[in-house]
Amino acid sequence: MLRRAVLQTFRQGLAQSFFKRNAVSLSETTVTHQPIETSNEADEKSVSKQKPGDESGNTVVVAPPEFRFMYPEFLPDPAMERRNRLKEKLERIDMLQRRSVVEIPEFYTGSVMAVTVADANSPNKFARFVGICIQRGGSGLRAWFILRNVVDKQGVEILYEMYCPLIQKIEVLRLERRLDESLLYLRDALPEYSTFPLDMEPERRLNNSVVPINPLKVKLRPRPWLERWERQNLQGVEDLNLPQRFYDKAEKVAKPWEKYDLMLQYRKTIPAEEQEKIFADVHSQLQQQEFKRKMRRRRGTDNEQ
Amino acid sequence: MSTLGLLRTLFNSKIVTPNAIQLQSLNRSPFLVGLFFNHEQVRTMSRVKRRTTHPPYWHVLKNNQRQDEKISSDNLRFVREVIQDKYKNKSPIKGSDLDIEKKEWDPKTKRSGVIARNIGVQHMWEKDGKKVVCTVLHVLDNHVIRYVPPEEYAKSIIGAKVFRNRKPLGCLVVGAEAANPDRFTRQYCSLFNEVGLLPKKRLARFIVTPNAVLPPCTPLTAGHFVVGQAVDVYGKTIDYGFQGVVKRWGFKGGPASHGATKFHRRGGTIGTGRDKARVWPGQKMPGHMGSERRFCRGLKIVRINMKYNVIYVKGTVPGPTNSIVQIFDTLLPRRKFTEAPPHPTYFPPEDGTLPQEDIWDSNMHVFGSPSISV
Repeated sequence: MLRRAVLQTFRQGLAQSFFKRNAVSLSETTVTHQPIETSNEADEKSVSKQKPGDESGNTVVVAPPEFRFMYPEFLPDPAMERRNRLKEKLERIDMLQRRSVVEIPEFYTGSVMAVTVADANSPNKFARFVGICIQRGGSGLRAWFILRNVVDKQGVEILYEMYCPLIQKIEVLRLERRLDESLLYLRDALPEYSTFPLDMEPERRLNNSVVPINPLKVKLRPRPWLERWERQNLQGVEDLNLPQRFYDKAEKVAKPWEKYDLMLQYRKTIPAEEQEKIFADVHSQLQQQEFKRKMRRRRGTDNEQ
Repeated sequence: MSTLGLLRTLFNSKIVTPNAIQLQSLNRSPFLVGLFFNHEQVRTMSRVKRRTTHPPYWHVLKNNQRQDEKISSDNLRFVREVIQDKYKNKSPIKGSDLDIEKKEWDPKTKRSGVIARNIGVQHMWEKDGKKVVCTVLHVLDNHVIRYVPPEEYAKSIIGAKVFRNRKPLGCLVVGAEAANPDRFTRQYCSLFNEVGLLPKKRLARFIVTPNAVLPPCTPLTAGHFVVGQAVDVYGKTIDYGFQGVVKRWGFKGGPASHGATKFHRRGGTIGTGRDKARVWPGQKMPGHMGSERRFCRGLKIVRINMKYNVIYVKGTVPGPTNSIVQIFDTLLPRRKFTEAPPHPTYFPPEDGTLPQEDIWDSNMHVFGSPSISV
């Protein structure tokens, strides 16, 4: 049935029905090189960004489209067999409740973060770890991210579950993006690219509106590597300087048709209409929480003075 | 001594006359079993047919064979109006309206169960930070359809088998998920005529003691259960279809390389050739896997959401996501109730006060509460 629909649309010569499910704009695999606005800018924009309204004349508040990248864990797992709207709604309520207690800031792979976790075995009962986010995944309450750092010449990676109640604080020390969505190649890179001081101070950005993309090209150590990096189109890695046979084999094994596979992208993403609904629902709550936090901070600074 | 001679001494010697066929009983002491009987198979259930694609013969035909009914839109509208008139919304039943003679709860009471849908799995955390995988069960719009008293149920086909040697108990027929009567046959809809409810997509029977009887048309909600109690969940396992021996029985198969010709995921030998000289019944082979009745016993309820009628149960439940399951109080003797639960079922309070929306187990970390500090 789907195939017929696809053929029909192509026969009509219109890709309009697929515009909203446009693979390039929605998939997380392709890297968008446009800088993304931060939540502050997005908030200011969203106040004015109200849809012309439905038939009844009420204005419909719509979340800014950047939410898809700022809060990707609110989108459920796209596998159709396991989707249930009620369960997703209940999970979102729980996520927002947790967010009202702990501020989970906006971050991307490539951002340097510090996480404080309650730990019974630590001297202070709290353990703080600083690292660069090399990967993030999961949806709903299962959302996780991995922080990497090199401590005493030993590479350390820690996977944190974003909604675990043991987490006391998540700070973003440096908010930036890299040229790739996954920085697993840092494991095979020279250690200086993964080293960050454990007492690093949060950096203030001059230009608050746009999340910068760090165009850093990382140098890898000589082979052997943990993965065949020449087979993954990595943008953030310097020229690998491998013998030609590696690149020939990579070409043989490559799947260049996947970027034209609309159904593959369709199955990997949530339809845009649903995304709009989900984020509209979440957006107002997040705005309220942000406002409350600002008030608390202001009151806190006033009290100090 | 030859192997045959040894085996003969192990069997009780019985004179086998040409006219009589006698089964030889085996000496099943442990070390002998290890030595000689390495071909033991579980043969008791091997010939029982576990699955059918049709319901039992005493069931009424349920689904309408949809034919292209060329009805005009006006007539369709009329049909819908008739249906709406027939099944007008009934007011919710209060505890006082029902003519239940207030029967006492005792530890031997069996309450009704509930039909729910498994809507997925969610992670929650306990107060010490330990992660717990919980299954989310959405209690559908359950209504009691009929009560079959013990004497009558003991005469039915299944009741006779169940209560052959025991004191008979009653049976409550509960239905869930109301649907358009158009899709069902007249005979199936007639099952709901007495109650006057829209026909339900799913029916289930729950064995109850006579003191836990519910009159027809009683709604059953998530409040029927208590947070912290143990429940048993019945469901049909995930259907894997026709599966090979490696996935179905966990065989190791053969080596992937080292010259193995066409032997990677096969079963290998299926018999000795000597003993009995045939394949024994119950030999593990490829076949249909899954879609079987299974019970998960003793699952603890950690959270109940009264507003959305949702139960969170610690652990996993048989069946895929979005499948229908049946939940009832546990049979495990050590996890049964010590105090009276909502008996015979939960009714919202008469004075109009709404129940607490979200009830958590005392051991669980509530999401809106501050982070855990160890």
